[in-house]
Amino acid sequence: MERILYGGKSSEIIDYSSPLILYPVRHHSPICSYHLIKLIERYRPEIILIEGPENANHLINVLTDEKTELPAAFYCYYKDSKSLVSEDKEDYKCYYPFQYSSPEYNAAVQAKKLGVPAEFIDLPYSELLINTAEDRGMRKNTEKHSYTDDSRLIGGEFYKRLCEKTGLRSFEEFWEKYFEIGGLYISTDDFVRQMTTYCTLIRNDVSEKELEADGTLSREKYMAYNISAAMNKYEKVLVVTGGFHTSGLAKLLESGEIRAAKLHKVAEKDQGCYPMAYSYRAADALRGYASGMMYPGFYDNIMKELLKRELPEGVYNEQTMTLLAKTAKAASKRDVQVTMSDITAAYTMMGGLAALRNSKETGISEVFDGVTSCFIKGEKTISSSLPLDILSELATGSGIGHIGDTQHVPPLIADFEKQCGEMGLKYQTAVPVKVEAALFTSKKGQLISRFMHRMNFLGTGFAKLLKGPDIHNNRDRSRVREEWQFRRSPEVDASLIDHTTDGFTIEEACAAYAEKLLNARRRCETAASIAVDCFLMGIPLTSAEQEKIDGIITEDGDFFSIGSGLSSFDTLWGLQRLYEFDDEAAMKYVLRCFDRLISALPSMADVPSERAEETVKVMRLMYMIAVNTLTDRLGVFEAALLTMTSAKEKEPLVHGAAMGLLCAINEDHRISAERFAKGYLAGSLEIRKKGADYLRGLFTTSKDIVFTDSSFLEMTDKLIVSMEFDDFLEILPSLRLAFSGFTPSELQLTAKAAAELHGMDDKALLNKKAVNEKMFSFGEKFDIRICEDIGKEVLLYEN
Amino acid sequence: MESNFIKPPVEIRYKDELDALRKYDDGKRPENWVLSPKAVRTFILGGKIKTESGSIEISRKFYGNDALVERCIITLAGNRGLMLVGEPGTAKTMLSELLSAACCGISTNTVQGTAGTTEDMIKYSWNYALLLAKGPCREALVPSPLLIGMEKGIFARFEEITRTPAEIQDSLISVMSDQILNIPELENEGLVFARPGFNIIGTANTRDKGVNEMSGALKRRFNFETVEPVRDVRLEKEIILREARNLAETGHIDMPVDADAAELLAVTYHELREGVDSEGTVIETPTAVMSTAEAVSVYYQTLSHAWYYGNQKIDMKIMTENLLGAVCKENKDDLEKLKAYFRTSVKNKSNKVGGLWKEYYTAAKVLK
Repeated sequence: MERILYGGKSSEIIDYSSPLILYPVRHHSPICSYHLIKLIERYRPEIILIEGPENANHLINVLTDEKTELPAAFYCYYKDSKSLVSEDKEDYKCYYPFQYSSPEYNAAVQAKKLGVPAEFIDLPYSELLINTAEDRGMRKNTEKHSYTDDSRLIGGEFYKRLCEKTGLRSFEEFWEKYFEIGGLYISTDDFVRQMTTYCTLIRNDVSEKELEADGTLSREKYMAYNISAAMNKYEKVLVVTGGFHTSGLAKLLESGEIRAAKLHKVAEKDQGCYPMAYSYRAADALRGYASGMMYPGFYDNIMKELLKRELPEGVYNEQTMTLLAKTAKAASKRDVQVTMSDITAAYTMMGGLAALRNSKETGISEVFDGVTSCFIKGEKTISSSLPLDILSELATGSGIGHIGDTQHVPPLIADFEKQCGEMGLKYQTAVPVKVEAALFTSKKGQLISRFMHRMNFLGTGFAKLLKGPDIHNNRDRSRVREEWQFRRSPEVDASLIDHTTDGFTIEEACAAYAEKLLNARRRCETAASIAVDCFLMGIPLTSAEQEKIDGIITEDGDFFSIGSGLSSFDTLWGLQRLYEFDDEAAMKYVLRCFDRLISALPSMADVPSERAEETVKVMRLMYMIAVNTLTDRLGVFEAALLTMTSAKEKEPLVHGAAMGLLCAINEDHRISAERFAKGYLAGSLEIRKKGADYLRGLFTTSKDIVFTDSSFLEMTDKLIVSMEFDDFLEILPSLRLAFSGFTPSELQLTAKAAAELHGMDDKALLNKKAVNEKMFSFGEKFDIRICEDIGKEVLLYEN
Repeated sequence: MESNFIKPPVEIRYKDELDALRKYDDGKRPENWVLSPKAVRTFILGGKIKTESGSIEISRKFYGNDALVERCIITLAGNRGLMLVGEPGTAKTMLSELLSAACCGISTNTVQGTAGTTEDMIKYSWNYALLLAKGPCREALVPSPLLIGMEKGIFARFEEITRTPAEIQDSLISVMSDQILNIPELENEGLVFARPGFNIIGTANTRDKGVNEMSGALKRRFNFETVEPVRDVRLEKEIILREARNLAETGHIDMPVDADAAELLAVTYHELREGVDSEGTVIETPTAVMSTAEAVSVYYQTLSHAWYYGNQKIDMKIMTENLLGAVCKENKDDLEKLKAYFRTSVKNKSNKVGGLWKEYYTAAKVLK
């Protein structure tokens, strides 16, 4: 195996005249990139093969394009429409991120410099999933996946023992000390040997069964075949793969048991790879997809610096010093007092710790230690740890990349970037940004608002409405501006790519997506919600969509769904002039919904009590629309209510509300309302209990009835007086609710009238005599005594 | 030096290890330090040192955050003081003693901060008989630990600094800034310059926060390190066993320690401190300090009882009584919290694990 691993005789470590060199890497490691560049300069391969999805080969040029800025990623997706992965026919997606420190990126750049091809040799994403067992590898039940997962490097007990033995806190600390920093002081040959040894030992800890289950073996067989094919064509082949695969590939190549794998036929529309801008925040192993190293921004700076220098020594000392100074500056801006003396003490601490830990230079762990010790004054708590949070943010980096070759940028991302640029939105940062949009006084404000609503409609997670009118829920409609917070993340790009099939611009995608949703969900409530979304996005409904909504309203048999739709359409109708969005269709839908509800209303008389409140809400809405907008429908509405009240079985709350509305339409119905109330009062105990709900419904829609004369109040009084105390307690919540819509002055008036009925003063009724101190003290002691006695009975322990 | 003390100082207790470290220490030492920073690290965190005849094992004395110990060592080699802050019983004092003994060879140069600490105790005072007889002279001067530290180039330890009034604490500022102490009464001979190796290790209890808040000026002259309680039950058990063994040895109690009982106590303290048990049940945390030091104390008391009055076997009833005494000190609600813990978590473990936990649960009747 030595011969394959290092290219030649073991004494030489790497034979630079060998036909094949397998170079092991840790993804995004600057030291792996540094030695890789040195190796390429010396070996001068005729082809460089890289671990990556074979079907993304056409994107290598996009990656190495001069205008491309990293971090960037390939976004790979697969739609399992043929159930090749599982019966669930799920959609899968993953990222293949690149930074300046990524050896894969540097391999591609060096190939370009040498004028030799660079190719990906791994299985396509779809095939990788097909070859992975459920809940293993890329099919683990986590939200985010990376093609370049390095989690294997920290698997098993081996690295823990190493950390214990070397007195280091974590794998990252171990890696930095012995590989990133230590690697600068050794030759490429020694580095490769050290790297291969570590990765081989880690791999020995994993069973073949596990490797089979997580798809490692399938991948390696496929890569080995591609390597073998390249060796037949080229004389010098360099293979760059994750260190975990290196020994596996070497074994396969040495055994000669290499066969071409048969790939499944997957439709073009079901799988693909796109280049996209990526962020350091997502690339961070702490928050990202376990794809590489912690603090990617810091390590990218190290790589950039290494490329500039002739001698690598001292690069960590310089960069950690810079990071410390930046942390101090940023902390000062956020009201953390950091003096020059603190910076000096932290710097001294970093150097001292590096020496104590036998590290040749100060690394990121020493910066964290220096800041912990010298910048935090007092106990280390969540609030006092701000300097550490700042350091973490700076080391992670807030930058977002950019795809230079616009031909390969998915159209929606290009449109997104164009629109952000036109509106002056700072989208090239991973830090959340706030923006205000004046809805009625500025064209730009309206554009921003519509853009943000469009991005939300596509489910990108780009924008969050902090303040502003909530048209969906009919809240805060008087607000004239919206406050948004937005942040670009890889998920935003991924969502936009997912919508690529919906259109070439965001507007087109929204319109097409709205149509799709209308087709999929045949409910009036949902259709109205989509109409509201289109209104907020400034996208008029097409005639086909209008017809669809019309059809949905006609087909929907759910009273409440139509009621909710009526509310939304009525809101739209009321707002369109204000929002400069003319859409006559809204009135058509209001009419259609209203008519559908009129015909359904009588059947709602005996609605189950748990839905009574909702029914009353719809009835009130209908009344408001009939009085204000559809005055010609008032008569029909009255007739429907009368039919409703004449039903044999009636839900008391709905009944009361219907009578209240009838009284509001026509004073003459007051006599009927009183008659019904008396009927409830004269009934059995159960009927009397229903009386409270009847009154509640009545007051909800027509509370004036209480104040016109005393008859209603007298009836209510009779209802209460006639009840036993326990029965009264049972209806008390309903009675309380019945009066909840009254203003304080109305309540005062009612209390006064009620007091008069019993020959009392309302003040005496409202301000009862206070219990004296002695009585209260006695009560309290009595209470404690009872509790003690009960406590004795319920002993804590059996014995 | 005689070692038959209730609590021998670190430099006596670990004399052999310190001597071995000093003999085989080839690292660079800050001026006046008896060991190099690397050897200090080994002394506190344990390890092996190579000798001509093989190697010597150095025991680990401080468990928890190794990086914190390293930062403390580097701080002390610099020009800033070290302030150890944390909950009571998190071994701040022990760490401060270990650092002093390892770096300077002496851990007893200490000022104990209290509400009654005066500036004299921090700087210097006078032997009034000599002062009256000879007037202000060096002979009549009674140096404080701080002054001794400055003159000898060793550490001065300032325990519980935040128990001391703020204006008294501030008398440290000039010493730490200029490394000079002025004794005006001695006129021309009154300037005492600190020798290399001098530094201050302070400890402050977070429960005293706000009692005598340190001034910003003084804070700037210290590097702060927060010592956290041990979060690992296994480690806490080891500490209890080791400390109990040491205390038993000093107290001439010739009885083996019971690892199961120590584990049970470690679990109890861990769960009551964290507010959640191993099953995920939420537990009300007592207001009393639930530190490892308290657990050691409870265990040692139980051990002593078994030695002097019992059958040389850890009795769960006695341990529960001792636990009750340790937990229910200040707040009467703590008793209810302890009862609730027994009612839920201990009962659960008694049913599932049985054995000692069953005995422990049965002993709950002493909780009154």
